[in-house]
Amino acid sequence: MRNKLLFGRSIDTGSWVHGVDPRAKLTGMVLYLVAIVIVGSWPALGIAAAFSLAYMTATRIPLKYFAKAAKPLWVLMVFIFAVQCITVKQGEELWRLGSWALYTGGLSSGLIAASRMALLVSFTAILTFTTTPGLLNQGLAGVLAPLRRIGISAQRLTLMMSIALRFIPTILDETHKILKAQAARGADLKEMPWKEKGKMLVSLLVPVTVSAFRRAEELVLSMESRGYVIGAPRSEYHLLSWRLRDTCFVLSYVVLVAVVLSFRWI
Amino acid sequence: MAIVFEKVSFAYDERSLWRHSALEDVSLELETGVFAAVAGTTGSGKSTLLQHFNGILKPTGGKVRVLDFILQAEGKQPPLRELRRRVGLVFQFPEQQLFEDTVEKDLCFGPLNFGMGLEEARERASQALALVGLDDSFLPRNPFHLSGGQMRKVAIASVLAMDPDIIALDEPTATLDPQSRAELAGLLSRLQREQGKTVIVVTHRMEEMLPYVDTWIVMKGGTKVFQGSPAELVRESGRLERECGLAVPACITTWNQVAARFGLEHEEPCLTPEKLAERVVRLLEGHPQGNKREGGG
Ligand SMILES: Nc1ncnc2c1ncn2[C@@H]1O[C@H](COP(=O)(O)OP(=O)(O)OP(=O)(O)O)[C@@H](O)[C@H]1O
Ligand SMILES: [Mg+2]
Repeated sequence: MRNKLLFGRSIDTGSWVHGVDPRAKLTGMVLYLVAIVIVGSWPALGIAAAFSLAYMTATRIPLKYFAKAAKPLWVLMVFIFAVQCITVKQGEELWRLGSWALYTGGLSSGLIAASRMALLVSFTAILTFTTTPGLLNQGLAGVLAPLRRIGISAQRLTLMMSIALRFIPTILDETHKILKAQAARGADLKEMPWKEKGKMLVSLLVPVTVSAFRRAEELVLSMESRGYVIGAPRSEYHLLSWRLRDTCFVLSYVVLVAVVLSFRWI
Repeated sequence: MAIVFEKVSFAYDERSLWRHSALEDVSLELETGVFAAVAGTTGSGKSTLLQHFNGILKPTGGKVRVLDFILQAEGKQPPLRELRRRVGLVFQFPEQQLFEDTVEKDLCFGPLNFGMGLEEARERASQALALVGLDDSFLPRNPFHLSGGQMRKVAIASVLAMDPDIIALDEPTATLDPQSRAELAGLLSRLQREQGKTVIVVTHRMEEMLPYVDTWIVMKGGTKVFQGSPAELVRESGRLERECGLAVPACITTWNQVAARFGLEHEEPCLTPEKLAERVVRLLEGHPQGNKREGGG
C-alpha cells in the first residue's frame, strides 16, 4: 500500500536539479502551472511536453516513476476527457449516438485536457522527488515570507503544511497496521467479497482517526519537550543560497510561459 | 513438520527504489509441538521471519510451508483464513495488535471472525484474559488507555482467545515486569506441554526462555546462522557471541567456563544456579559423573 504512494517521497540521484534552490523550484512549478493552464493547442502542448521531458530526464530518476506518480489520477483524467468529448461541439462530426454526437474538436480538446493533467501531475512530481520535505518547507517559508507584511506568519503556515504532509504516510502506515492486525485475526481485506470489503473499510475509519489523533498528541508532546515554540526565532540547519543556476532555472520557466502564451495569440 | 522454510527470501517494497532485503535464503524446519525461540540482534529479520508464519508477509523468493499451507512468491495465493485461525501471531508492539475501542471487542474479534457465537466468544475472551493474569474488570476498558504492560498482556490474550495450534510471539516479554515475564514464559511452556501447541518466541533476553526452549534459532543480517538444541547453543555460544553480537546470558558463559576448567564439555549443561551448584558440589566430592578427567577441587 505505502510503496504505491510515490507522492511526497524524495529520490536522491544527486542530479543538478536536486541541488536547485527549493525556492527556485517552487517558483518554477508555479510558472509551469501557469503555462499548463494556458496551453490550448497541440503545438503548445508538444512544447510543454518536450520541456517537461527534458527536465525529467535531467533529474536522472527513471521516467516510470513519474508515470507512476500520475497514475492515481487516471480516473480524473478520464473524467476530464469525457466531459470535453461530450460538451465541445466543434469540427467535424465523427460519431453519432441518438441526439448526441462526438466531434473532432471535442476529441482533440479532450485529449489535450487529459494530457495537460498528466503532464502537470507527473511534472510537479519533480518537486517532491528532488526535494526533501525539510528543504521544501524551507523553500515554502522563503517564498511565503512576504506574507508577513499582511500579518500572516509563514512559519505557522509551513508548519501546518509540513505536518499535514508528514501525516499522510503516517496515516497510511497506521491503516496498513490495522489491516495487518485484522488480517492476522482472520479478517483479511484481500479475501473478502466486495460488499464486506466496503463495510470493513468504513469500520476502519474510526480506529484510523483515533490513532491519527493519538499520533498528533504524541507529536505535540514530543515537539514541546524539545522546546519548540511557534513563532520563536529559529536558526536553520541548511542555509539556502540563491545562485546563478537558480536564476537560470526560473528563467527557463518564464521562457516556457512566454512561448506557450505566444501560441495563444498567434 | 509444523513449519518448513525452503530458501525463503523476503524484501520490503519489492520492485521499487526502496527495495530492502530483510531475509535471504532462510531454510528451517520446526516440528509440531516444539518450543522454539528466535534470537538475533536488532534488525536481523526476526519480526520479518515471524510474519511469514501466518502469511501476513509472503516470501519474495522460495517456499514457506506452514501446516498444510504453501506460500510461494509465484502462483496463486490459497485462501489464508484457515491458516490465520491455526497460527496466532502476536506482533512486536501491542499498539500494532489492538484496534477496537474496548478490550472485550478486541478479544472477541478473532473468535467472532472464525465463526464463533457471541456468547462463546465472550467466554473465550475472559478465559484468555485470565490466562495472562488480568481480571474481567479490564473487559470494558479502552485498550489504548492501559499501561504498556497491560496492553501487551491484552495483545497476547487476543491471540490466545483464538486458540491457535501454532502461537508465534514477537518479543512478548518486552515491557513486562520480571514477575509477569516469568509467568508468561511458564504459561507458554504449559500450553506447549499440556495442549501440544507449537510455540515460537522472539526474544532478546535468552535467559528467561532458556529453561523451556527445545530449539534455538539465531538470525543475523537476514540469514539464519544457527538452529539447534540448547546444548548445541551452549557449545556454539562463543562463536555466536563473537560473530552475531548475540547477548549470551551469564549462565551459559559461566557454564562454559566451568566446563572448560573441569572438562565437562560433553555433559548436559547446567544452566540454573541450583543445577550448577549441585554439579559443583559433586565435583568437589570427587564424583566427576560421566567425564573421567578429575578437576582441581
Ligand atoms: N516495513 C518495513 N519497510 C522496509 N524495511 C523494513 C520494514 N520493516 C523492517 N524493515 C527492515 O528489515 C530488516 C529486518 O527487520 P525486522 O523488523 O525483521 O528486524 P528484527 O530482527 O525484528 O529487529 P528488532 O529486534 O529490532 O525487532 C531491518 O533492516 C529493517 O530495517
Ligand atoms: Mg522485531
